Amino acid sequence: MTKLVSDDGRTHIQSRLMRESLQDRKVLSKTDSERDLQIFPDVSLVSIGGQSIFDRGKDAILPLVAELAEVKKRHKMVIGVGGGTRVRHTVSIAMDLGLPTGGIAQLVGAMEELNAILLNALLAPHGSMPMQRDHFWDLPLYFDAGITPIAISVPPFHFWEPPPIEGAVPMHGSDFGLFQLAEVLGMKQVIYVKDEDGLYDKDPKKHADAKKYGKVTLDELIAKPPQENILDEEMYRTWHEAKNLKRIVIVNGLKPGQLTKALDGEDVGTVITKGGAS
Amino acid sequence: MTTERRTLESSLAGSTLTGSNPSSIDYRPVAVMPDVRVVKIGGQSIMDRGRAALFPILDEIIEARKKGIQVVVLAGGGTRARHIYTIASELEMPTGVVATLGKYIPMQNARMLQMLLAKHGGLFILPDDFEKLPLYLQLGCIPVMSGMPPFGYWEKREEGSRIPPHRTDAGVFLSCEFLGAKRAIYIKDEDGLYTDDPKKDAKATHIPRITAKELVDRNLNDLVVERVVVEYLPRARWCKELQIVNGLKPGQVLAALEGKDAGTIISA
Repeated sequence: MTKLVSDDGRTHIQSRLMRESLQDRKVLSKTDSERDLQIFPDVSLVSIGGQSIFDRGKDAILPLVAELAEVKKRHKMVIGVGGGTRVRHTVSIAMDLGLPTGGIAQLVGAMEELNAILLNALLAPHGSMPMQRDHFWDLPLYFDAGITPIAISVPPFHFWEPPPIEGAVPMHGSDFGLFQLAEVLGMKQVIYVKDEDGLYDKDPKKHADAKKYGKVTLDELIAKPPQENILDEEMYRTWHEAKNLKRIVIVNGLKPGQLTKALDGEDVGTVITKGGAS
Repeated sequence: MTTERRTLESSLAGSTLTGSNPSSIDYRPVAVMPDVRVVKIGGQSIMDRGRAALFPILDEIIEARKKGIQVVVLAGGGTRARHIYTIASELEMPTGVVATLGKYIPMQNARMLQMLLAKHGGLFILPDDFEKLPLYLQLGCIPVMSGMPPFGYWEKREEGSRIPPHRTDAGVFLSCEFLGAKRAIYIKDEDGLYTDDPKKDAKATHIPRITAKELVDRNLNDLVVERVVVEYLPRARWCKELQIVNGLKPGQVLAALEGKDAGTIISA
């Protein structure tokens, strides 16, 4: 029987956190455990780059759509897209206007949605649907019906985007948003589809001697980060603190077959692992 | 070879947008609605005390509104939030799920506040209504909203905890920071900050003014506001102060809404 307690002027419901300060570290630690509930452990999150794929247009997009149409028959996945050059244009105008960080965060999602609409129009004949913001509980239905959902990539921080560690550009972009979606749902892996064969120690577009990482651990990457990163820093920071996701793969979407191999669990492109998992 | 990237010219073209500040942009931020006062009514501290605690606070908010002060009220959670957090933690729910559960109780409290404030212009709003604030405030309304920021499933985990780090205190601070308001106001049932939890330690003493850095340096086991807010304060552009007042002491809420010092001020 639930007990109501009101001996201090406040009416409490009996619970372990009753009357406790949720800022108290000792109290908080009692809520934690080694693991989280894994909600969708057999699903992969596929993130398709904005600048790297969509901004190249038809030649880059259509072969990738053909590959997705084929591989979706065998794999459960949620797709997200980046916004690319239009996001950068939006941010540069917004910053020149002096809009606050939260205001910039509110604006950028629209540019990614354009790519999501394009992708869905191409993939719909093969079974795809845009997924509403957090309608995750529809996912079993989508997969049973052979539908691949296309998720919203930017996180819903909007006007409430926290002040960045540095500068005014929002820290939580689509790389973070899609990572967090996979993390909270306990998914198998995140695959970032870009226009390079993986992650390099420096920008391979500018340096001929850039070296590709094959398999690398998150700890190694954080200890010795590449000169220029193709994924948002906040994604790495969040992953470091996160509990569930063990595997991120970066593949080249311009080379047919790489995404399929990654979904099949093969080591392709750059495979980043965490916590000794493979 | 496939088609090249087709890039719009901008000062950020080709960048990875990883949060660093492009030096080519002269960023001079504009305050959106700097005169608005965003005030949080505590869940456990006020709402769970019921009428005796709440009604005098609402009277002071109504009085401030009648004086022309633009007030936005954000609601906290309280004991029902602690109850669902306890059960969700036992079930090992990820923090993002816990944060989503945490949205519902402040929403209930906001609806209660709206009903009580309705005849004085109380208006229940959602995060999506934020862009309509100028209209509501010019009409003399008192918008009421859940204090929980809309992160939900995207809430990050904090080391050693399953409780969402951004709760209703963070929502008030982040609302102020977006609006360009200088001070975030928190109505609780204590005079502000103490050296320890005054409800548990009789020797705890009151702190009228302190900087975020001094607060962090004390490395207190407990804090009067959510830790993320103290972490964000030094890097805020607009919201440079947090004010914590005692809603159980007549006059403190009105003083805070009028911009006067009362309770504890934590500054950047």
